[in-house]
Amino acid sequence: MFKPIASIAATTVGEAIRRKVLLIILLIGVLFLVVAPGLGMLSARSETTVLRGMMLGIIQLTSAVIAIVLTVYMIPNEIERRTIYTILSKPVQRWQFLVGKYFGAVSALLMMMTLMTSVLVFTFWLQQRDASAIPDLIKAPVMYFVQMSLLAAVAIFFSTFVSPLVNFFLSGGLYLLGSLFAPFFQTLQESQGTPQAAKIFAQLVNTILPNFANYNIQNPIINPGQQIQNESSYYLQVTVYGVLYIAGLLVAGTIVFDRREV
Amino acid sequence: MRPLAAAIETKQLTKTYKSRIHGKINVVDSLDLHVEEGEIFGFLGPNGAGKTTTIKMLLSIIYPDAGEGYVLGKEIGDMSVHRLISYVPERPYYYEHMTGLELLKFYASLFGINDQALFVRLLEKVNLHRDMSKTISQYSKGMQQRVGLAQALLNDPKLMFLDEPTGGLDPIAHREIRDLILSFREEGRTVFISSHELSEVELICDRVAIINKGVIARQGKLTDLLRGGRVEVTFEGVTEQWLKDKGMRDSHVRTIAGGVLLDTTEEEDINALIDAARSNSGRIVSIVPRRKRLEDLFIQTVTDAPAAAAKKTITVEESTSV
Repeated sequence: MFKPIASIAATTVGEAIRRKVLLIILLIGVLFLVVAPGLGMLSARSETTVLRGMMLGIIQLTSAVIAIVLTVYMIPNEIERRTIYTILSKPVQRWQFLVGKYFGAVSALLMMMTLMTSVLVFTFWLQQRDASAIPDLIKAPVMYFVQMSLLAAVAIFFSTFVSPLVNFFLSGGLYLLGSLFAPFFQTLQESQGTPQAAKIFAQLVNTILPNFANYNIQNPIINPGQQIQNESSYYLQVTVYGVLYIAGLLVAGTIVFDRREV
Repeated sequence: MRPLAAAIETKQLTKTYKSRIHGKINVVDSLDLHVEEGEIFGFLGPNGAGKTTTIKMLLSIIYPDAGEGYVLGKEIGDMSVHRLISYVPERPYYYEHMTGLELLKFYASLFGINDQALFVRLLEKVNLHRDMSKTISQYSKGMQQRVGLAQALLNDPKLMFLDEPTGGLDPIAHREIRDLILSFREEGRTVFISSHELSEVELICDRVAIINKGVIARQGKLTDLLRGGRVEVTFEGVTEQWLKDKGMRDSHVRTIAGGVLLDTTEEEDINALIDAARSNSGRIVSIVPRRKRLEDLFIQTVTDAPAAAAKKTITVEESTSV
């Protein structure tokens, strides 16, 4: 049952790491990481704070663009090139195909994010010569990886029924909404003074909208004065949330894809 | 309903699509197909006739709206049958970064097969063993088609679906693919070919079906479908006028070196004419039956039969058995 998934995932990785557009985005991200220390020196704020914030921001933005570009074309390309027909004529269920493509995308993302994180660590160490700050610094890319895996699942889900262009804006829009507005709706839901109808609406949005903001943990890393309470428990909690949300999206995607005529 | 012992059997299989302009369109309309095991079956039709849609339904890539279909005795949609069948799509695209060998490994892994000797043997069969380390992007169209056939043999299939297997290939590649398809029949496989290449089909297929506007217009053995052509009889010892006086319909008589040539339809009573010629001191030099060409039959079927009339399936086996 898992062999076809692994084979499809491996093939997806092979294709992804050869896609020129992804390599160009990755190269731009890496270049920005390398020149970030120079830009950090121009800032009036603490050089370390700016450098950390800038480098983590570069990794997050580059990874988000890669995650969306990588996944929005995944299923439509297979259909357009008819490669899906040969695969589905074999004893491969559609859910195996979809899950295989997803894990392939996530594996390719992991490789690219690992490369960027390595550049981040190396550049930071060269600039600051402070190895003690590195473990804390790595926490952010690890959480970003869970965030990007969730984003990839959103894009894969949409790719089962919308065109790549629509998917690009849908997934990108949902990522921005989930990153910027999820905390607002959470506050609205929990606030004592919120009317009941608004609370219900906020609860509904919080349930449906993937909370990408959970993984934006850069503030405590950039500003040593800030801390996450029960840090390990928080990381575990948001990771489980992400995994469950991803599983839900893959199940929903399979239901749609199973009925779709390709 | 229990299906007949056949490689493919469909009953009233229908696929409908909705169009903004035309409303509901039956792309495949009440399709009754019967493909015997071990034969090469040609599925012919003009562009948009419903050939690929039919294949996709048989492979469960799309779902029929009505009717039923059986592949190797199992209802379409039964995944277990996918272990016994294979498919080469029209103008196939394979992952270009892979080598020929890697491509076979990938498709084999979907069956849980990992047999290096098998991969090499199949690449030898399709004459790609010397190019197995080249990437697919370095393969010509013909080579891609051949590697497609190699991947289609990985699971030792009983039934192969080939959609336009020789489309866009040069004459040498045509011949290579044709020989491979013939070898599949010798190995006892059933081959279902959708094609426009009528001369190829005529050379290799045992039976054919012609589909037009989603409806099977003709179906039967090629020998039966192409029967009813013309016959050329060369006489000696009789005159051109004597033959013309026999009043045969749709016939041409002309004097040639060494005799008189009569070109007539098979429907005319040739035996009676020969008897009459012999009793008139004539002699028969040759009798040459001229079969209809598949191309003529195809064009006649597609152009002559209006859509409404085409809905009535003409099965030659049935009509000739009366």
